[in-house]
Amino acid sequence: MPRPEQRFVTFEIDGREVSAPQGAMLVDAAKYGDVEIPVFCYEPKLGQPVGACRMCLVEIEGIPKLQTACSTAVKDGMVVITTSDQVKAAQNAVVEFLLINHPLDCPVCDKGGECPLQDISFGWGAGRSRYIEPKRHFKKPIELSPLVAIDRERCILCYRCVRFSQEVAEDYQLVFLERADHTYVGTHDGHPYVGPFSGNIVELCPVGALTSTAYRFRARPWDIEGSGSVCTLCPSQCNVELTVRDDKKVLRVLARDNVEVDDGWLCDKGRFGYQAFHAAERVLEPMIREGGGLRPVSWERAMAEAVNGLDRADEGTAAIVGGEATNEEGFLLQFLMREVLGSPHLDSRIGGPIDAETARLLARPDLTAAVSDIDHAGAVLVLGTELVDEAPILDLRVRKAVRRSGVPLVVATSRPSSLDPNADAVVRYAPGSEEALIGALIAELGGGPAEDPRPARPGRASMREAPELRKLRPDGDSGDLARLAGAEEDDLRAAAGLLRGAGPVVILWGERVSRGDRGRQAVAALLALTRVLDVNSGGGSGMIEIPTGSNGRGLREVGCLPNLKAGLVDADVAGHWAAQIAQNLGHDLSGLILFQADPLRTHPDRGAWERALDRATFVLAFADFLDESVSRFANVVFPAEAYPEKEGTVTHPDGRVQRVRQAIGRPGSVRAQTSLLLELITALSGAPFDLTPAQVTRLMTDTIPFYRGLTLDEIGGRGVRWQDRDAAGQLPQTPLPEIRLGTPPERPKGMLLGTAPSLWAGRETQHAASLRFLAPRQRAELSADDARKLGVAPGDEIEVSVNGTTVRARAALRSGVPAGAVFLIEGTSEDNATLLTNGAVRAVKVRRA
Amino acid sequence: MPLDELRLMKNINEPGLAGIEVYERLGGYQALRKALTEMEPEEVLHELEESGLRGRGGAGFSMGKKASFIPKGTMDKYLCCNADESEPGTFKDRLLMQKNPHRLIEGIVIGAIAAGANKAFIYIRGEYELQAEILDRAVAEAYERGYLGDRILDSEHSVSLVVHRGAGAYICGEETGLLDSLEGKRGNPRLKPPFPANQGLYQGPTLINNVETLCNVPLIVENGAEWFKSVGTEKSSGTKIVSVSGNVRRPGNYEIELGMRSGDIVYGLAGGPPEGRRVKCWFPGGSSAPVLLEEDLELAYDFETMAEAGSMLGSGSLIVVDDSVPIVSLALRLAEFYRHESCGKCTPCREGTNWTVKMLERIDHGEATPADLDVMADVQTNIIGNCLCVLGDSMAMPVGSMIEKFRDEFEAHIEEARRRNGGLPLAAHGGRADEAVGSPAA
Repeated sequence: MPRPEQRFVTFEIDGREVSAPQGAMLVDAAKYGDVEIPVFCYEPKLGQPVGACRMCLVEIEGIPKLQTACSTAVKDGMVVITTSDQVKAAQNAVVEFLLINHPLDCPVCDKGGECPLQDISFGWGAGRSRYIEPKRHFKKPIELSPLVAIDRERCILCYRCVRFSQEVAEDYQLVFLERADHTYVGTHDGHPYVGPFSGNIVELCPVGALTSTAYRFRARPWDIEGSGSVCTLCPSQCNVELTVRDDKKVLRVLARDNVEVDDGWLCDKGRFGYQAFHAAERVLEPMIREGGGLRPVSWERAMAEAVNGLDRADEGTAAIVGGEATNEEGFLLQFLMREVLGSPHLDSRIGGPIDAETARLLARPDLTAAVSDIDHAGAVLVLGTELVDEAPILDLRVRKAVRRSGVPLVVATSRPSSLDPNADAVVRYAPGSEEALIGALIAELGGGPAEDPRPARPGRASMREAPELRKLRPDGDSGDLARLAGAEEDDLRAAAGLLRGAGPVVILWGERVSRGDRGRQAVAALLALTRVLDVNSGGGSGMIEIPTGSNGRGLREVGCLPNLKAGLVDADVAGHWAAQIAQNLGHDLSGLILFQADPLRTHPDRGAWERALDRATFVLAFADFLDESVSRFANVVFPAEAYPEKEGTVTHPDGRVQRVRQAIGRPGSVRAQTSLLLELITALSGAPFDLTPAQVTRLMTDTIPFYRGLTLDEIGGRGVRWQDRDAAGQLPQTPLPEIRLGTPPERPKGMLLGTAPSLWAGRETQHAASLRFLAPRQRAELSADDARKLGVAPGDEIEVSVNGTTVRARAALRSGVPAGAVFLIEGTSEDNATLLTNGAVRAVKVRRA
Repeated sequence: MPLDELRLMKNINEPGLAGIEVYERLGGYQALRKALTEMEPEEVLHELEESGLRGRGGAGFSMGKKASFIPKGTMDKYLCCNADESEPGTFKDRLLMQKNPHRLIEGIVIGAIAAGANKAFIYIRGEYELQAEILDRAVAEAYERGYLGDRILDSEHSVSLVVHRGAGAYICGEETGLLDSLEGKRGNPRLKPPFPANQGLYQGPTLINNVETLCNVPLIVENGAEWFKSVGTEKSSGTKIVSVSGNVRRPGNYEIELGMRSGDIVYGLAGGPPEGRRVKCWFPGGSSAPVLLEEDLELAYDFETMAEAGSMLGSGSLIVVDDSVPIVSLALRLAEFYRHESCGKCTPCREGTNWTVKMLERIDHGEATPADLDVMADVQTNIIGNCLCVLGDSMAMPVGSMIEKFRDEFEAHIEEARRRNGGLPLAAHGGRADEAVGSPAA
C-alpha cells in the first residue's frame, strides 16, 4: 500500500478559518489553528479512537449533540466550536466527574507537576467540586509487575494501557475487570504484567496510576531536566529523553517520539536499563593488573601502561569493537589501528567475514528501506531474525503494519518467532540453512510455476516472462532446495505467493544470516532474492539488516572491519576477522584492544577465546563493567562511558545517522573515550591530535565519501538518513552482479544446534537492579516429537554437547520448533550457548542430565 | 381501542405453537415461501419500508430504512436479532420467543434475505434459559425443514442462524455492546460511527433488530404494507405489545393498536392501580423513559405523542407507580440498577450513575439538604447527551424527570428523614440550604 498522499481541507474553528489534513481527527486538525482540545483517552499511536473519556466534546454546526473531537474527522467547510457555553459545560462536567473518585494527593503523587489530569483540570475544569460523598477505595499501591506499580484509586480508566497491551504490544495481558465504577485495570489471572514493552504503559498513563517502581519517589518534576539522546542498547536506536537530576544521574528514560525510528515506544531494556549506568559495580577508575588482580591507578599510570603495551605489540595488535561504540569512537580506533599501529586486524562483527563488495552492495541506497517503509510495504519478509530480541521496536513496527494496514507478513526463521501468529506465511528451516532456504524461495518465485493461479499484474512482467531472472535460479529445483533447507515446500509456496507481485517488499534480515562458513553464499542468495523481488526498485522497498551490535552498521561504515577502511573502501591490507584474531593471538598477534567488548560472552567458540585471551601478551580494555574477558585477562582497563555520558553519532540499521548527546557528567575518573583514543594516537604517533568531539565528527564525515558534509546541526534531534543526501552518490557503486547460486551442502546428520539472542541475556539485565529478575537461565527449546524420542519432559535438566563440551539447560517444549533442532540462548552469564558454537552448523548430542 | 383482531399475539396460546408442526398448520412459513418465490429482496425491503414499521426495541427507527442501509456486495453480512431484553419492565420478547419462536425465525430469515445477510444470530439474554432452549429446538427444526441453512427452500439464498446466550449484562442490549459481546469481547458499546450497517459484527455490514420488530416481518410480507398500516397512527403504524407492570391489577402483555389512549391501557386493560390508590406517575417506555403524571394518561400511546410529552415510547413497557411508592425509593432503585449495569467505559455514565446513587442514599438517610437536589439535577444534565451510549441518559432522564416533577416530595422526604434521624430541622442551622454543600472534598 503506497504512502497516503496528504490533502488539505479548510474548516472553521472558533471563528477562524483553518487548513488541516483531510481525514485528520478534529483534535489534531484543531492544532493547525492553534486550538487545543483536551483529551485523555485519545492517542493515535494506540489505534482507532475509543471516545471513552468524553473530554474532547465539541460543537459542530448542524449536529445537535456534542461530538467527540477525537473520533470525528475534519471535513471541508465544517464549523467547529470549542468555546461555547454548551462545550464549556460539558468540559467542566467531565473534569468534575473524573475528579470525584480521583484522590487529590498531587503533592505526594509522582505525576504531580507533569500530569495531564492536573493540567486539564486547571485549563478546562470549573475549579471546584460539589462531590461530598466518600471516594472509591482500592488496595494501593500494588505491583502490577516488578517494574510497574498501580494505584487504582488514581486511575481514570482512560483505556490507554489496556489498548497498548491489546493493540500495540499484542500481549493481551491487560484488561478491564469488573464494570461501572468498580472497573479496574489488571491481568486476567492476576499474574504480573511482564512483557518486553510493559514500561510504555507508565508513559502512556495520563495520571499517576501507573508508575515505574524504579522512578517512584526519586524526584519531583522541578528537580529534573530532560535531555535528548539515542539509546544504544540495541540496534533499534530509539530516540530517548533522559530524565536527569543534578546533571549527575539518569533517573528515568522516556521515549522521544520519532516516527522514522521508534514510533514513540521503548522496550523495557531501554527504559529501565539506565540503572546499570549508576550500578555500584561500574568501573569508574583506570586499573592495571598487578599480582594477578586489577587495581585502580592514576590516569597517568594507566595511560603510560597502555601506550607501552600497544607500542610493544604494535602491528601485532588486534581490536574487537563492541557494538555500542559510536561512529567517532570506531573511526578513531580504526585510525589508531591502521594508521598508527599499522595493524588491519580489527573487527566489529561477531559472525565472521563479509566480502567488501557485498558490504558495498548492501549499503546501496536503493537496496535499503527506511523504517517507516514497513508501514506501507506491499509485503514484509522477516528473515533469520527474532526482532523482539534483536531490535524490539521493529517487532512493534511490523505488528503495526500488519494490524493497521493489513501488510502481508512472511516470517522465515529456523526458530519459532513471536511474529508467527501475525504472519500470513511462516517458513521454518533447519538452523544455519539460510542459503538453501533463500535458494528454495527464489526457485519458488523465479520458477514461475505453470500452475500459478494468480493472473499476472498489468505492467509487471510475470516471472515466467523474465528470462534474465532465470539466470538467478539456483541449481536444483525448489523441492531439492527445500529438502536441503529442511523446509516444507507448501510453506515456501505460500510465502512466494504472498511476495510475488505484492508491491514494494521490505526485507528485515538478521546479520546472523551471514554468519558461519556458508554465510557468504547466504548473502549472495539474499542479493539474488532482492533482484527477483525487485527490492532495488525504490518506491518503499528495500532491506534492513539487523546487526548484532547496536551500531553495527555505523561501525562497518566507519572502517571497523578488517577488509574495509572508513567509507567502505577496500583496506590496503586485509586483516583478520574476529575468529582469526582468536586463533592468531599468541602467535602473530600479541596485543588486543577490547573496546567495550566481551568476546567470552558474545563471540562464538568461547573455548577458543578463552585460550586466545590467555595467550595474549597485552590486553587493553575500555570497559564500563568488569566483564569476564576484562576481569580475567585485561592488563589495563580504561573506564568506559555509558551512552548518556557520550557525545557522538551512531548509524541506524536503515542508514539514519543520529546523535548521541551527553546528558550527565562522567562519574568517577571516567573520561571521554574519544579523547583517550586521541591521546593514544598522539602518544603513539608522536604527532599531536587534539580534537574536540565536533572536530572528530567533522574529520570522520570528511573521510567517508557518502557522509561528506554531514554536520551535527544537520543531524539534529531526528537524525538524517545518509541515503537521502546528495553525498550518497559517493558510495562506490557497482551494479548488482549476475549471481549464480551453487548447490548448498547437505546438512550434518543428527540434532542441529541453533542459537538465538535474548533481549534479557545481556549486561543491562545483570546490572540494572529492576531488570535482574528477567535474566534468563539457559533453556533448550525442542520439538515435542524430539523430546519424546529423547525421553525429555518440559523442565527437565538436559545436557547439550559437542565434542565433549557441554552446556546444561532446562528443556522447554515449544510448538513450531522444527524436528531435529535444538535452540539455546546466546549471551547468558552461565551455560552460554557460545561454548558450543564455532560458526559452522553443528550437530549436537542432547540427553537428560 | 383494544384490537378487533390480535396480530402478533394471535393464536399465542395455541398448544404446541412452539413446535414447527403447529406453526406450519396455522400458516407458518408461508410468508417466507412468498418472499422467496413471489418477491425479489428489493420488493420485501420496499414493503417493509412502506409499512412504516418502527423498531420495537426502544429507538423506534424505521426497520425498512435500516435494512436498506446495508451495502450491497458479496462480503459476509450479518443479521443480529437483539433478544437481550433487559430493560426493567419489558417482557414482551420473552412471550414471543417462548410461545411462538418460529415466527421470529421466519422473520429473521426474511429480514436476512431482504438485507442480503447470510449469517444470522439471536443474542438472547442469559436469564432467558427456557426461551433459549425453546429457540434452540425451533432452530433445529427449521434447519431440518430447510427454512434455514444452504439454499433455503431450493432458492439461491442461504442463511445460517445461531442462538447465542448472553451472560447477564444490560449493556449487551445496546447494539454495539451486543456485537462486542457476540465477538467474544467484553460487552462495551462501540463508538459510532461507524454504524453497524457499515461495520458491525466482525467488521461486516450488520442489521440489528429487536425480536418484536422481526416478528412483524412475516405478517407484513404475508398481508402487505397497507394491511399493516391499517391500524395505528400515521407515524406509528401497526400494533404493539405493551408490557404493563407495576401497581396495576392485571399486569401482563397486551397487544394494542398504536395511538390508543394511555389511560385505556392502564385502566381498561391492566385494571388500574389497586383499590384506593391513584396513579402517581408512570413510565411509558421502560425504566429509562422520563416519568409522566396521572393527567398524561389522556395522551395517545404512540411514538410521537410520547416524545412530545417529553418522554418516549421506548420498548413499550408501561410501568405504573401508585401513590404508595415514595419517589425517593423509586429514584434510588432505578439509579442503583443503572449504576450496576454501567459498563464503565465512558466517564459521565460511570461516575455520574455512581454519584447519583450516593446522593440518593444520602437523601434517603436524611443526610441531605434541598441544595443537594440542585446538584443532583445538575449531574443528570451533565450526563445527558455527553455519554458514549444511551445508558447514562437512561438513568439521568427518568431521575431528572422525578426531581423536576416531585421536587416537593423530595424536599419533604429530606426534612422528614432528618427529623427521624434526630437531626434538627434545616432552619435550626440558621443558614441557607446551599451553604451546607460545596465542601471542597474534591
